[in-house]
Order: sequence, then C-alpha cells, then structure tokens
Amino acid sequence: MAFAWKAAGITYNRYLAVASRAVRRSLKEDKRLQAERRGEMDLRFAKWESGRQGENKSLASANEAAMAEAASGGQQ
Amino acid sequence: MRVFATSMAVSAGRKGEVGWVDLLIIIVMMLSRTARPAFRACVVVASSRPVASPVANAANYATLREIEGRLKSIRNIEKITKTMKIVASTKLTRAQRAMNDSRAYGETSKTVFDEAETKPTEAEDKKQLLVVCSSDKGLCGGIHSGLSRRVRAMLNEQPNVDLAIVGEKCKGQLSRSNGRQIVLSFAGLGKDIPTFADAQAIADQVSLLPTDYSSIKVLYNKFINATSYEPTTVEAFSEEAVAESPNFAAFEIDDEVLKNLTEYALANTLYWALAEGHACEISARRNAMDNASKNAGDMINKFQILFNRTRQAVITGELVEIITGAAASEQ
Repeated sequence: MAFAWKAAGITYNRYLAVASRAVRRSLKEDKRLQAERRGEMDLRFAKWESGRQGENKSLASANEAAMAEAASGGQQ
Repeated sequence: MRVFATSMAVSAGRKGEVGWVDLLIIIVMMLSRTARPAFRACVVVASSRPVASPVANAANYATLREIEGRLKSIRNIEKITKTMKIVASTKLTRAQRAMNDSRAYGETSKTVFDEAETKPTEAEDKKQLLVVCSSDKGLCGGIHSGLSRRVRAMLNEQPNVDLAIVGEKCKGQLSRSNGRQIVLSFAGLGKDIPTFADAQAIADQVSLLPTDYSSIKVLYNKFINATSYEPTTVEAFSEEAVAESPNFAAFEIDDEVLKNLTEYALANTLYWALAEGHACEISARRNAMDNASKNAGDMINKFQILFNRTRQAVITGELVEIITGAAASEQ
C-alpha cells in the first residue's frame, strides 16, 4: 500500500492537518469561522546545540521546509 | 495644607466625633504650619521608622503620608489580582471543557496500546526523549516549577535522556540546570486553549529529530481537582515497541502504516497533555490570584488600623502642645 502523500515526503500528521483544513474551509460561513479557530497554529521553536539555544523560528514554515526537503530527497 | 486639614476634619466628623474637635484640628493645623521648617529636619531623620513616637510630631505626620501611599498601592494591587482572578475563572470553564474533550483523544489512543499490551523497549544504549508540557505565562503558583523539579528528579535516576520543552517557563528553569540535554524548545503556547494543530506540529518536529529514541515520554500536570495537580508521564511508544507488543497481531496493521500510527499516537498524547496542562495552569492561576487578593485584603486592614492609630496619635500630640502652650501663656 503506497500513499501519494508519503511519496511527497509528508508525515501522517501533516496529511491530517491538510485534510482537516480542506474540510474546515468547505463548511458554511458561520460554522467555518468557529472551526477554523481550532485549526490555528502559531508556535515558534528553537533547536538546541550543547546547551545553547538556536534561532527562534516559526514552526509551521520549518515543518513545511523539512517536508519539502524530504520530498526532493525521496525523488532522487 | 488647608485642603488636607479640611479633609481631616471631614473624616473626623464622619466617625461621629464631637464638632468642636474638628474645629480644634483645623486650628492645630494652621498653628503647626508656622513651625514647619524646624520639623522638616526631623522628618528626614525619622521617616524610616514605621510608627514614630508621640514625641516627634513631624515624624508622625511623615509616616502618615507614607502609610497612606502604601495603602493606596496595595489597594491597586488588590484590584489587579482580583481582575486576573475573574479572567482566570471565566477561562477555566472553557479550559476544563477542552480538557475533557481532549481526554477522549488520549484515552482512545491509549486503549489501542493497552489492548496490544505494548511495553516500552528496554534497550539500555538508546536514548529516551522527555517532552515537558508547560506554558509561556507565569503568575500561577508553582505548577511550572513542580514540573521542572520532577524533570530533574527523573534525570537523576536516568541521565540518558534528551529534553524537548514546550513553553518558556520550564525552558528558563531547565536551561540553567540541564541546558545540555535540551534538543528542542517550543514557544507561543498558553495564550489560548491548545489546538490539535499545535499538537500535530510539535509531534512532527519531534519525529523529525535525527536521534532514534527508544521511547518518548510526555510529562504534564495531571488535573486531579481544582486545587491539586500532579506531574505525570504518559508514554508514546516507538515503532519497535509497538511491533514487539504481544497482542499486536490482533489489530492486523501493515508495517507500512505502523509509522503513521505512532506519529498519530504521539500527536494524540501531546494534545491530551497540552490541554490538561492548560486547564491546570488556569485553575492554578485562579487559586494564586485568589490568595493574592486575600493577602492584599489582610494587609489593607492592617494598614488601615495603623493609619488610624497614627492619625489619632498626631492629633493627641498636637492637642497636648496647644494646651501646654495656652497654660504657659496664661502665667
């Protein structure tokens, strides 16, 4: 069983997030506003190297970048 | 000066004292105005004393002003803590509902592993990962430091552990003692109720870590009731641990899908832990602010009594002065 999204380097959680976003956007206006609030994510994260904190980055963009990298790595 | 005198008179009148006392006070105030420069020198010397002796009149007057200022600032603090308590109370019901909803996610995913009788793999050489779920905001009693203390205790028993920390508070505390073991830190949590998208994003970033961990533990504050919480860990199993579990065959899961399951289970567990930790934090903040308002109320009472006593002492002292002055001029 091969998944198209797996080949694109997307993790299961990311796949779920994208799917749920699509469902939320197709809801009716009043329900959509409520539901979209549940899908918001505004976290920042930092990697640590031997006791020092690295740069603070947005988690959403970092996740996307990592997955894009995984996708290009998978095709080669 | 005159304004102050009349206000004193009004306050004295309100307490039902006899009218001529007020008049006397005004006279006293006017009299003492002439002798100001001499007094001012004493003020500097004696102003640090909380309750001045009745001999040094000017010192009394200075502390009166001081006490008044302190009283005012305590009243302001009480107002602030009361407001914060009200805000936390209104947030609490929502947070608790979110916690109960999220429990369904965590418990469903836990049932799978309970049925499969999954045990954590006992590989000694492999590292473990500990995800600590705190938040960015303080002013909520000791729940963050409770988590940090628990982490340190766990690290003493088992030093071969990496840390991923959610929330600024525990990050600050643990980076001082165990900075070398931190691999990831997340911020921006605690403004609102954590969403499943938050948990998913954290789970993704954790699963992207280069090290292969034997197990991932999630540490969070378990909500026991409105006044007590307990730092608790839940396990999110690695792929091998799930594959090795005795009843695993009953679920008929393909090997390819297994990775998805572990990732999803991690997100579920994280969501549960985050929501429960958030509810604990809000309820702890409510309690902390409740206590702070109570303490402020106690202090206000104490200072009010002190203020009244000092005021009366000043009046008595000045009356004595007038009477002795009058007696001396008669002779």
